[in-house]
Amino acid sequence: MSTRSTARTVVSRIFTLRNMAVTFLVVYFAIFLAYPIYKAFAGSLHNWNPLNETYDWVGFENYKDILTDKLFWTSMANTGVFLGWSTVFRVVLGLGLALLLSSKLVYAKDTLRGLFYMPTITPLVAVSFVWLWMFDPQFGMVDKVLGINVNWLHDSHWAMPAVIIMTIWKDFGYATVLYLAGIMNLPRDVYEAASIDGANSVQTFFRITLPLLKSTTLFIVITSMISYLQAYVQFLVMTEGGPGTSTYTISYLIFDQAFNKNNFGVASAQAVVLFLFTGVLTLIMFKISGDTEGLA
Amino acid sequence: MQWKKVSTVGIATVSILAMLGACGAGAASGTTDTKKDKGLEVIGTNVKYDPNHLVNDGKPISLEYWTWSDGGVDPVYQLAKDYSKMYPNVTIKVKKQTWDDYWTKLPLQLKGKNGPAIFNIHNSYDALIRPYAADYDVDKAQLEADYPTAAAHEDANGKVKYIDSVINTGNIYYNKTMWKDAGLTDADIPTTWDQFREVAKKLTKRDGDKITQAGFNFNGAYSGLYQGLNYQKGTLLFSADGKKANFDNATTKENMQFLKDLYDKDKVGSVDFGNEYSDSFGQGQTAMVYAWGWLEGTMKEKYPDIDYGVFATPTFSAADQTPFAYDRYNGESTPGVNKNQSKQQQAVAQDFVKYLLANDTYIRKAVEGLNSFPAKANLQNDADILKNPVMKAIQPRVNRLIWPGATPATVETSGKVAFENVMQNGMSIDDALKEGQATMEKDMKGSDFQSAESKYEFFSEHK
Repeated sequence: MSTRSTARTVVSRIFTLRNMAVTFLVVYFAIFLAYPIYKAFAGSLHNWNPLNETYDWVGFENYKDILTDKLFWTSMANTGVFLGWSTVFRVVLGLGLALLLSSKLVYAKDTLRGLFYMPTITPLVAVSFVWLWMFDPQFGMVDKVLGINVNWLHDSHWAMPAVIIMTIWKDFGYATVLYLAGIMNLPRDVYEAASIDGANSVQTFFRITLPLLKSTTLFIVITSMISYLQAYVQFLVMTEGGPGTSTYTISYLIFDQAFNKNNFGVASAQAVVLFLFTGVLTLIMFKISGDTEGLA
Repeated sequence: MQWKKVSTVGIATVSILAMLGACGAGAASGTTDTKKDKGLEVIGTNVKYDPNHLVNDGKPISLEYWTWSDGGVDPVYQLAKDYSKMYPNVTIKVKKQTWDDYWTKLPLQLKGKNGPAIFNIHNSYDALIRPYAADYDVDKAQLEADYPTAAAHEDANGKVKYIDSVINTGNIYYNKTMWKDAGLTDADIPTTWDQFREVAKKLTKRDGDKITQAGFNFNGAYSGLYQGLNYQKGTLLFSADGKKANFDNATTKENMQFLKDLYDKDKVGSVDFGNEYSDSFGQGQTAMVYAWGWLEGTMKEKYPDIDYGVFATPTFSAADQTPFAYDRYNGESTPGVNKNQSKQQQAVAQDFVKYLLANDTYIRKAVEGLNSFPAKANLQNDADILKNPVMKAIQPRVNRLIWPGATPATVETSGKVAFENVMQNGMSIDDALKEGQATMEKDMKGSDFQSAESKYEFFSEHK
């Protein structure tokens, strides 16, 4: 009887809600995060096509191939351009609109806030298709409204800007909402003190608002960079990497290698490089800002 | 009380597991067939099928057929129903997946023991499904007598795992209203590319420098078009040993220049007018496009108001000369049989495949649903089938169409990139071809691809 009771106590101590929740999380991350990362790294060292069971050891051959591949570097450069412009405009537009919405100049703030956020919750595939039509040189709205004749998605000079414009339109609402939340939480007493000291609105913005929103900005910049490094849906729908290879980004290249050409080994090597690149970029951002509190 | 609970849970678990087990094994439940002599006629010309027998000894059996198409396109849906009507003990369950899901899930399913007994095949995925497909249990000579293109699918042992049910190739689609408005008649239908250029010029309309109606639009159709043109001039898509891409050569250069001249010199179209050739044709912006049989379905579904006709793709040769090949063709495939399924399932699947191969209804339905030309010899002169203008345009060329094999994706994609680099990015033809060739070679490194070009009847005539 006492043995049974001791066993029950041990079992009830092991199977507590906390232990089960932690175990669930550990197992979940092991299966859906750690294992895929390990598998991608292992796959990058093989000539790998899981669909016909090819898995031959090639060492660092895939890395050597991609680092000497012109298209890989073109894709990296394109990714840099896409990431840079999209992030800058997302932050600037998001902050500008948040300031406008938090000021006394604008009416119907809730409606506008909802309106700005709407593109963010619309599926990217659907938005990409709509913009694909809007950029058409014959019957698209963009050329008609602007009174110009540009073949946006089929001209290598305009294809990337076109995708960036679409991406900014889709994503600025997210930054606006985050900035709005940040602005609402700014301490009023600091502004009152600045006002007493005679600070004008420009000084207030650059000396108080912007520094106090630093953690929000850092959060938006880092999450934007990570998501834009992984962007491929809009490229798949709108340009398929073209014309030529002018809109190949690193994630589109990975997609193309894996799912069009079934070179999963090469695609994995590219994914590992992207993973390292993202990590390094995030660390640099932390270092530059010297502030990681906002990310907690 | 405790014991009762445990027993109930135990019984429930065992019952559920038993039911799941039964589902997985395609196990016996349903009607038993005892009528061997069904009073039905033997069907087929060379491959014959006698329905007067018992399938699976008349015992109930359930098979799965996987496909990416719906019943309006894939003829197997209807034929599976007809088969089950003849053999009430056989149930063929059709499972449809989206195209992308299909090619991810199917190979993984076929690896195991519970994959579908029968599955739809697209020959571009040959390398993926070949390891899991059983050889057809049909006499080779009979099969080739019925299906002349079957030989192209034979492996080194003379066995096939699937063949073409119907085939398709490129044609020129033209807008009849625009044709008439330009003062053209049936007598103006071009047979050579020189004649075609003149017709295209007449069909082009401009408002100042701006095109308002393209005479010919091939935006987005680069790959398919250049491959056909290369074959017309006798140049293969792959090296003579069939292992390497043959892209950077004088013929591709000539043909790329020819297509570029159509836009730059003849000004019959533009890279900035009608980004997608088939949509542009459907929207009444373009007078002529080069397209395969699928455009017929697109026009019916999306642009039913456009009055259009079809004629055979012109050639570079004079009318009385025959080119090496008129164009490339590709086939829609007959279903595969899963060699990892049980012997019982495979036997029924093989019987069903034989029923399809002998059955003209199967081919007629494929012709109708897929807008493609019958690969079965006895139907290639069929009056009903030739009423369709696409079939009529293909029929005189059918013996001079070449199949390059299940080509690796890079041949299409890198060819497209090279053409875009020349037409849209201002790259020189030489550089674009060099880059395209290098990409194809890099992507095909380590591939065990073998071109089927050498199986073409007139292969020896190539350059």
